[in-house]
Amino acid sequence: MDIRQATIEDLLGMQNANLLNLPENYTFKYYLYHALTWPELSYVAVDPSGRIVGYILAKMEEEPSAEPSGHVTSISVLRPYRRLGLANKLMKQSQEAMVAHYNASYITLHVRKSNRAAISLYRDTLGFEVHIMEKGYYADGEDAYGMRYIFPKKEDKKEETASA
Amino acid sequence: MSHAHGIPKHRQLPDKEAKLFKELLVRFSNGPFQVSPSSSITLLTVLETYYELKQYKKGLKAADTILKKFPNHGETIALKALTLHSSLPFPATAASVPKAEEAEAMARTAVKKDITSHITWHVMGILAKQRRDWAEASKAFAMARKQDPDNIPVLRDAIALSTHTRQYQAALESRHHYLLLRPQIRSSWLGLMISHELTGDYDEAIRVYDGLQATLNKDGATAPEKAQTLMHVIRLCIKAGKYDDAMDRLEKGLREDVISATGEASQIKAQILLELGRKDEAEAAYRALLEQNADNLEYYRALLRNRGQDISKALDAETTAAVLKTLVEFGETYPRSSAPRRLALDVATGDEFRSLVRDYIVRGLERGVPSLFVDVKGVYADAAKMVTVGEVVEEIVSKLEAEASLHGDDTIPPPTTLLWAYYFLALHLSHRLQPTPDHARALELLDIALAHTPTLPEIYMAKAMVLKRAGDAQAAAEAMEDARLLDGQDRFLNGKAAKYWLRAGNVEKAEELLAMFTKKDMTAVADLTDMQSLWFLTEEGDAYNRAGALAMALKRYQSLVTVFQEYEDDQYDFHSYCLRRMTLGAYIALIKYEDQLRTHPAFFSTALSAIDIYVRIADDPSLTVEKLTPEEEAERKKAAKKAAKAEQKAKKAAAATGDKKDEAPAPDADPRGEKLIATETPIDDALKLWAPLEAHHPERTETWLAGYELHVRKGQFARALRDLREASAIDKNAPGLLPALVDLRQRATTIPAGPVKAAIDEVLPTLISDKSAADLVATWPAPTAAHVLASARTLKAAGASSADVAGVLARLTEVTPSISDMRTALTIVDGAERDSLRAAFHKRLPLAFVFASAEDKAARAAQVAAAAEPAVEGKTDV
Repeated sequence: MDIRQATIEDLLGMQNANLLNLPENYTFKYYLYHALTWPELSYVAVDPSGRIVGYILAKMEEEPSAEPSGHVTSISVLRPYRRLGLANKLMKQSQEAMVAHYNASYITLHVRKSNRAAISLYRDTLGFEVHIMEKGYYADGEDAYGMRYIFPKKEDKKEETASA
Repeated sequence: MSHAHGIPKHRQLPDKEAKLFKELLVRFSNGPFQVSPSSSITLLTVLETYYELKQYKKGLKAADTILKKFPNHGETIALKALTLHSSLPFPATAASVPKAEEAEAMARTAVKKDITSHITWHVMGILAKQRRDWAEASKAFAMARKQDPDNIPVLRDAIALSTHTRQYQAALESRHHYLLLRPQIRSSWLGLMISHELTGDYDEAIRVYDGLQATLNKDGATAPEKAQTLMHVIRLCIKAGKYDDAMDRLEKGLREDVISATGEASQIKAQILLELGRKDEAEAAYRALLEQNADNLEYYRALLRNRGQDISKALDAETTAAVLKTLVEFGETYPRSSAPRRLALDVATGDEFRSLVRDYIVRGLERGVPSLFVDVKGVYADAAKMVTVGEVVEEIVSKLEAEASLHGDDTIPPPTTLLWAYYFLALHLSHRLQPTPDHARALELLDIALAHTPTLPEIYMAKAMVLKRAGDAQAAAEAMEDARLLDGQDRFLNGKAAKYWLRAGNVEKAEELLAMFTKKDMTAVADLTDMQSLWFLTEEGDAYNRAGALAMALKRYQSLVTVFQEYEDDQYDFHSYCLRRMTLGAYIALIKYEDQLRTHPAFFSTALSAIDIYVRIADDPSLTVEKLTPEEEAERKKAAKKAAKAEQKAKKAAAATGDKKDEAPAPDADPRGEKLIATETPIDDALKLWAPLEAHHPERTETWLAGYELHVRKGQFARALRDLREASAIDKNAPGLLPALVDLRQRATTIPAGPVKAAIDEVLPTLISDKSAADLVATWPAPTAAHVLASARTLKAAGASSADVAGVLARLTEVTPSISDMRTALTIVDGAERDSLRAAFHKRLPLAFVFASAEDKAARAAQVAAAAEPAVEGKTDV
């Protein structure tokens, strides 16, 4: 699957993938808001017929704070396209863009407390940690874990690549 | 009134009322109105600020006090209209709808009373904008500007509206004026730059940017904002073909740390190097990009293009070998990326392809990747490759069945590999590009897989897909339901099952499933419509259409058309937003995207389906009344009762929580499409849907053939003739063209003499010979099912016997028709011919239950009903 930065032309495909896969849905305007505020942060996975089979919809935290941070609004890979490591790759690309374009220090996301598969992906594969529990975060009353991943500092990164 | 110098007489108020009027404005000094220090009145733009309800009441009271004495004071009427309108909730409620209409009427009256006031026009423009009537809003703001040319808020809206309605010259002119009034603000300059770009004047746009540098540097734009702007100018240089200039600006931006070397700039830089022919540097740049993202196909393509190896074109043997060598190397460098190995499958041919595709498939099967088939079938456009894939997978399956190694060594593959191999082979055998799809064997393989592992939803999904292709929608839906039940928490499976139930004509069941994942306080249909689910609206519209429930079909189709209108309207706020955020590149991309929004395939197919319904009801108004069997009627009544009960219950619940009905969102005034279908002007309604097809799909014969059907029914023969000429110019053998031409030839005999008649008489013979319909059909080469169907329609329209029509339809068996073609055929003949054709189809495709006899269908329906009963009784799981 092709992995590339999302463009305006991809937003309807992302909306479609989101509606097929997840219970939290958004109107087109919300996708536009992301794409027209942080055009570099969202990524898509595309199959050979041009269909969008996975996406990450991401933004920067708008509240002013000492350290800029990124946030994953939604990430999803269509069921038949699992086991390809797409979520992992989409997440990596978006994170690198957050650092490159907005000098982000860390990234946050929300996950349903019951979604064990996702929690394990974020924690075990992507290095996120639970930093807060938000009661009744979702429309249906379910609690959310607020998870966070602090980006390695630039110096650390160099060491990492050197040792890899 | 002495101070009222210069104010037209009808606008003048005595002191007491003048004071009230001013108070009315002051009351909103933080809102839509602003009283400037010089006390000249400025209207602020949007009504996004919210006010206390009390304030509205006070405002209305003040307005009424003035109007009591001066009922014709236009500006006060306008302010009252705006005050009333601003107090209304969004989205509209049952109670607010009549009030909104009252405000609209008031605003129109205000303009009539005071046609030279910028306030009355501005209010009218604001209200038009709120209801997204862009044409009327543009007019109103133009008038407001005429009355008060330097009014900043009016100017701002006028610019947004000009851009929105694509009047770029007008926008440019307003931008210049705005800049004169507000030269110190950065968005004035950026706006001018964008306006130049939209009119196509890239050089001038770049000049404006260069003039803006000083402002940008001191006005406190954030680092990302500066980067966004610079990146956009670099893109502009590229668009203008100035690659050297683009490179200079890029390198300067990198040196001065305005843009980050690791972000988007690295892609743009590689692109410029490629364009400039700086081959070594471009090669290095693309290698660096691949290091950062080894799954990006464009990086590989561009890297190869840079070496003169453009894989989008046919390659000679030597180049192919070189490309494959490169891709294989990348495959080894990036073992976790399938991209280079997948690209190699597109490039390789013959034995090379066989060996590469085998490796690719084995690897995918061993990992249990469900999407492997969808991934590989991309090469099926090449028939030889499809055959090779089939042979390779057969070989893999037989090796696995014999528990032999796939690698020529003594490794034993895990048992799941065989499972996924069956899955792949089943989908391969039943694929629509197969010359003779083998659905029966596909189902056998899947049954073996299911006997081995009954817990994998994917196998049931594959079974459902094969059954669907084989023409048994009901059994397909049941198989998809089995898949869904294995993982009830998975929305993807839920949606697939719902879609398959819709294909099987069971709307009720589909909606019941969908409701498990939609919002609890509304119906699944309402939520999916609000959330703009295109797949749902088309699929359910089609389900109703197939069942002859034309009102409901039209309802869903029109909902989809409305969603596209929302997509278009959504851009409005971004005309000013993007200048504030300086996301100029994304903004330009948005404008270009919106311009071609309706090229989306869902819009195309939906508009055509809706147009077809309008044509059918125009020809036969009796179709607007749904024909129900007594059982269906009883069923419908039962459903209505159930719905009434549910509503009653909801009302009670609402009353208990103190939820007033008036405050609930305004209900859909036509939930069952009855008003839509009762239209007095079906052809005009259809023409509204056709206009975007003419604009965005002029390359499709379907567009012109649909236009023909509408224009002849309007008696617009010149346009109808043009439609057929356009269709013929695209493809003179287009299937639908023959019946349309015969139809026009027939209709032409009734047109009175005149220029139109003369034009038809002159042009028609160049499009169709003067032979009879029967002769035309007999000699017309009909290479596809669509052609055969068109032949049959032509004959039928010419009044041929049912037997003759059926005789033509029998030719379908020579051209591998799809199930849907065969279903269409059955709608063209009736009576005994229909039945024998159906039987013939069923004999040919024994799995296609859709062609089973009435008795067989009744028997299965009874079976389904019997199976469903206890579930209803028990009512536990689901």
